[in-house]
Amino acid sequence: MPPGDGKPDSIEWQPVPGAPGAALYPLIRKIDAISSNSYILTTPDVIILIDPGGLPEQAEHLLRVIGTCRAENNRPLFVFLTHAHTDHFVGIQADPVFTHPDTAVFAVQQAGACALESGDTTVTQSDLMQVPFFPMKVGLHLFSGERHDLCSEDMSFPNGARITITRDKTGPAGLPRERIEFGPGPALTVYHTPGHSPDSICLQIGELLFTGDLLFAASPGIAGLTGWSQETLIYSLGAVEMLIVKEGIQLVFSGHGRVIPATDALRMLRAVRADACGLANIAEMEPDRAARTAAFAGDCMEQVNELFTIMSGRLQYVSFILDELGESGMADQSSALIRGDMIDELLEAFHNFAEEQRHGQDVPIHRVLKAGQVIAKLERTFNRDELSAIINPSLVRRAGRLLSDYTTMLRGFTPPNECSDCDLNALTGAVVTGLTVPPFTDDEVLSSADDDVAFSRILLARIGTPPLLADVEVTVLSEDDPLLVCIDPEHFTDLLTYILEDQVGTGADRIEISARRSDRTAIVTVAGNAPSPGTPQERRTWRFLQGLAERAGGSLTVNEREGMHQFEFTAPAVYQTLLKPEHRVK
Amino acid sequence: MDISAVNREGNTILSVNGRIDTLTAPELEQAITTEIGRGNRKILLVFSGVSYISSGGLRVLLSTAKKLKNPGDKFAICSLQPEVLKVFKLAGFTSIFSIYPSEGEALATW
Repeated sequence: MPPGDGKPDSIEWQPVPGAPGAALYPLIRKIDAISSNSYILTTPDVIILIDPGGLPEQAEHLLRVIGTCRAENNRPLFVFLTHAHTDHFVGIQADPVFTHPDTAVFAVQQAGACALESGDTTVTQSDLMQVPFFPMKVGLHLFSGERHDLCSEDMSFPNGARITITRDKTGPAGLPRERIEFGPGPALTVYHTPGHSPDSICLQIGELLFTGDLLFAASPGIAGLTGWSQETLIYSLGAVEMLIVKEGIQLVFSGHGRVIPATDALRMLRAVRADACGLANIAEMEPDRAARTAAFAGDCMEQVNELFTIMSGRLQYVSFILDELGESGMADQSSALIRGDMIDELLEAFHNFAEEQRHGQDVPIHRVLKAGQVIAKLERTFNRDELSAIINPSLVRRAGRLLSDYTTMLRGFTPPNECSDCDLNALTGAVVTGLTVPPFTDDEVLSSADDDVAFSRILLARIGTPPLLADVEVTVLSEDDPLLVCIDPEHFTDLLTYILEDQVGTGADRIEISARRSDRTAIVTVAGNAPSPGTPQERRTWRFLQGLAERAGGSLTVNEREGMHQFEFTAPAVYQTLLKPEHRVK
Repeated sequence: MDISAVNREGNTILSVNGRIDTLTAPELEQAITTEIGRGNRKILLVFSGVSYISSGGLRVLLSTAKKLKNPGDKFAICSLQPEVLKVFKLAGFTSIFSIYPSEGEALATW
């Protein structure tokens, strides 16, 4: 989620439909992982604050509004948390008005209440978000095991409040609910909707529903947080969908982001449910995984930045040449294939965000989520088929795989093992040939001369895809033929292409590729005569390439020898004689 | 981003320092346009201090190449850092305008 600017978008009082005498003050922020939206509800009997948020300044603002409400009609204050994640409550911890039990009663589902009272840093995401909090007293444990169905219980609190709370399981799809009456005015109904966290609740007053983080619960990086449960989430999403319909809900107020009309919310709930159904066995997003994912996010975004800039530049180049040839129509079509300005803005936003983190408090999960957001937007702007028809398909393919590798890691999926037995010499030869030969032969260009459409297509590809190794002296040597290895051929192809591009791009005009068997391993060595500046960016590139080598099923070392970079990829060798005849590579 | 301009024997040398990104690419475009407006049509960009160029920055360079293609015009870039050189090469820009290892080598050919 992107950083918000701290300014609320919507802070106007409005009546609550279906709840005469009640009013709502929504404080809606731009979406981020630091602080939630907040909502103040008033009835003649009570002031209810839902989710004070994660920022002290937000809490101060809410306190001023609550102070005005109390000056008009002094009523008890209840603070309900849709769940006990720090971004929904920690902002109030500096203020005694909120923390003193004589002034405000906190109401949290039982599991969240226990976590807050015991100072649990895992359930509250305090560890992951690196936001400390003090244990706090929760006056009203919602869905406490001590209450029984259909029995009303009267409760009184140190701040003078008296409530009647009634529990039943007659909510939509049997969703447990508690109806809380604060007096003769409108009541509040709370539904237990676990999934995003065990303590997640939705709150209804009149025809409004407050859903906390339910609509984000299947999002990459959010799904898999400690306490997340696919099974209960799917159930809760379906039940809330029924609730909206049966209770005649008009507007849905989410924990983050804009107010949602009920019809849109229904559509979103169905989409989130479909996403959630595909999230079986995802890894938990705990601090260690967040740190690993954040490191990959940084390396990945460096490469994404470079690849998208190169692709955009390549299209500009094609457009420039076509313009020179007087083909301005084709030039415009070509340059429109990538929204360079939008991509620049996205990449710039991530760069600025990463720089801010580097100079301030570095919270890995924030970087993880920001990269996820940028990558999702890039995915939506990325027309692979049309781009591949003009610029080097290897660039497009690698950009696509980079985006999908990050999304896979962010979502917590275990990537499938795509390793298979293949001939390293054949793979290497195919990569080198693909980067040496133009996409269409001269004969194909000549034979397309009578067909305008075919000629345009071939012309664009010839301009847009010049062979990378055309002007480079490449030597390929191998002692064993075939040289069988067990690797992921697609990731190896990407790895070798990255290395060759890196060498040619930084000035190499001579590259040697050799492959050999060594005991139980096979080794491919790529050496180029590009100068060696040893910049931090270069080291990041190497770290990225080492990760890519691991995904290819091997390992990579980078050395410098006699002024040349030497990349050595090592993978497990396969012996032809050990394979069954039908599996032998011919 | 900082841009400093020096005129030497009829050549305009613009030394650029910093990132050429969404925010700063228009500054570079403005600096070049100003020089061309003054009648300076032999422009060398010194990129030794440029650590990053975005696609917006590449667009400014192509636009300059289009403006400076009359007989007698000169436009070149020198002293590129490896990361920027890589983007230029792989995007195909090295075949549009001249790239030199150093300022001296660039001016020696003009």
